Amino acid sequence: MSSVLKTKDLQVVHRLNPMSLTFQSGSLIAIIGPNGSGKSTFLQAISGLLSYDGEVIWNGFNLNDIPVYQRAQQLAWVGPEPNFQFPFTVQEVLRMGRFARGEDSHNLEPYLKDMDLVSLADRPITQISTGEKQRTLLARAMVTQAPIQCWDEPLSSLDIRHQLEILMKARAMANAGATILISLHDLRVAHCMDQVVLLDQGNLIACGSPAQVLTPALLRQVFGVLSRESMGLVLELPPK
Amino acid sequence: MKKYPLILGLITLALSILFFASIIWGEVYLSFPELWDGLRRTDPVVQSILWNIRLPRALVAMAVGASLSISGLMMQAYFKNPLASPGLLGVSSGGALGAVLYIGYGSNWLGMWGLPGASMAGAFLATFLVLSLSEIGLGTQRLLLAGIALNALLGAATSFVLSLSVSSFERSGQILFWLLGSLEDRTWEHVWVSLPLTVALGFFITSLGSPMNLLSLGESGAQSLGVNVRQFRWKMIILSTLLTAVATAVAGVIGFVGLIIPHIFRLLLGPDHKRLIPCCLIGGAAFLLGCDLISRTLNIGLRVGVITSLIGGPFFLWLLQKRAV
Repeated sequence: MSSVLKTKDLQVVHRLNPMSLTFQSGSLIAIIGPNGSGKSTFLQAISGLLSYDGEVIWNGFNLNDIPVYQRAQQLAWVGPEPNFQFPFTVQEVLRMGRFARGEDSHNLEPYLKDMDLVSLADRPITQISTGEKQRTLLARAMVTQAPIQCWDEPLSSLDIRHQLEILMKARAMANAGATILISLHDLRVAHCMDQVVLLDQGNLIACGSPAQVLTPALLRQVFGVLSRESMGLVLELPPK
Repeated sequence: MKKYPLILGLITLALSILFFASIIWGEVYLSFPELWDGLRRTDPVVQSILWNIRLPRALVAMAVGASLSISGLMMQAYFKNPLASPGLLGVSSGGALGAVLYIGYGSNWLGMWGLPGASMAGAFLATFLVLSLSEIGLGTQRLLLAGIALNALLGAATSFVLSLSVSSFERSGQILFWLLGSLEDRTWEHVWVSLPLTVALGFFITSLGSPMNLLSLGESGAQSLGVNVRQFRWKMIILSTLLTAVATAVAGVIGFVGLIIPHIFRLLLGPDHKRLIPCCLIGGAAFLLGCDLISRTLNIGLRVGVITSLIGGPFFLWLLQKRAV
């Protein structure tokens, strides 16, 4: 049986108007919208990082009813990188991803490899670049092995190669059954997702397949831009 | 990494040596046979020096040093800022005002417990005030600002009481001595007020290393990884306040311990609180014992609170110079 993540009248006072959505497991979901449209708020509410009204239901459980550490086993969140003050190494930060599972000796090597962090494993996170910190936090979220992943603008500081690698990794995780919600600004990336949620000023404008949501009419209405299909520069990772 | 057991071993050894030195060293030097007599209580003079003066003093120094350094470590994790100190939320200045009011106006009906009691009451009142002013849930920024404001207010009130007491030479002298932080004339009452609580809380806090690590990297991240941040922050505030309040109650205002001890170990061992907590407990105890030993050896009226600041100030400037903070 495939798992389902649902929001029921999910609402954050003054920031997000009630929205009821359903996400199938094994899918990549793009959350898009202009600045201030509520993308981060939506992801933070689902992740239980701010108080909300309504319900977030995962496999029949209301996520608000279970203890924080159990929720952490089900859901991982990656936000904008905070200003780190303490020089934990990349590896130590990844290990923290196992907190809710009793800090077991889970093998971190594959995650370091996937996120291209092997050479940085022993570097303090206070001394690496913004993009490297972002990859570290993504790796930490993956280390949790939570089936729901909420990533708030994970690609914002990454070079094109790492963006592609992370999208490939996200696709692989979704194929393995994860539900991955990603807020982003690049509508070409949103095109490659399974489902797109379009927000504007705290309201749900549309939700559906990329073809249903990324229409010239909606894009003009929400972003105020004109769009047309064309074959521009196409980038992909070379075969390994 | 082998560094951690080595450092832990070294500071435990240092603590043992300093403790032993504190017991035998002083105006009267105790030789081994004398020490043995004193321990068996066969020589009344030595017994008195050992049991009434040196043991309580050394034990209080250890409890206060451990309390302040661990309290500082917790505040730094709480505020995600390695420059936070135990007195940040007005705990010490509240404790100081309580004690100063007691010395200035209190009657003596509580006996030996009066001064520590008044100081504890002041410390908790200050924390309660700061928490209710800032509504803890709203974030560390407001808490910090409320703490700064309250610290200034309490400091002013303390100065006011002090200036009112100037006419009484004895009282103002007592107040000043207390404000400078002191370990002289500590009794077993002081030991009972401070040591058991410090040991118990110290043990408890050693179990909080992992969530402290997570919190020190950001609240949202910690919450998403499974720390109940709201609950945990309350726990940290209460524990840190208790420890600072107890230290202030038995030894007055002693600065810098809570700042430099965590720093030294962070430099040596990195930011992992699972290692820093035991090191700060033992290292803080050893540091204050050492400072007290210096103040006793120099014997020129330099009180231990002055020594910690005299060592702490330059050390901190040196750290700043090296950009290690």
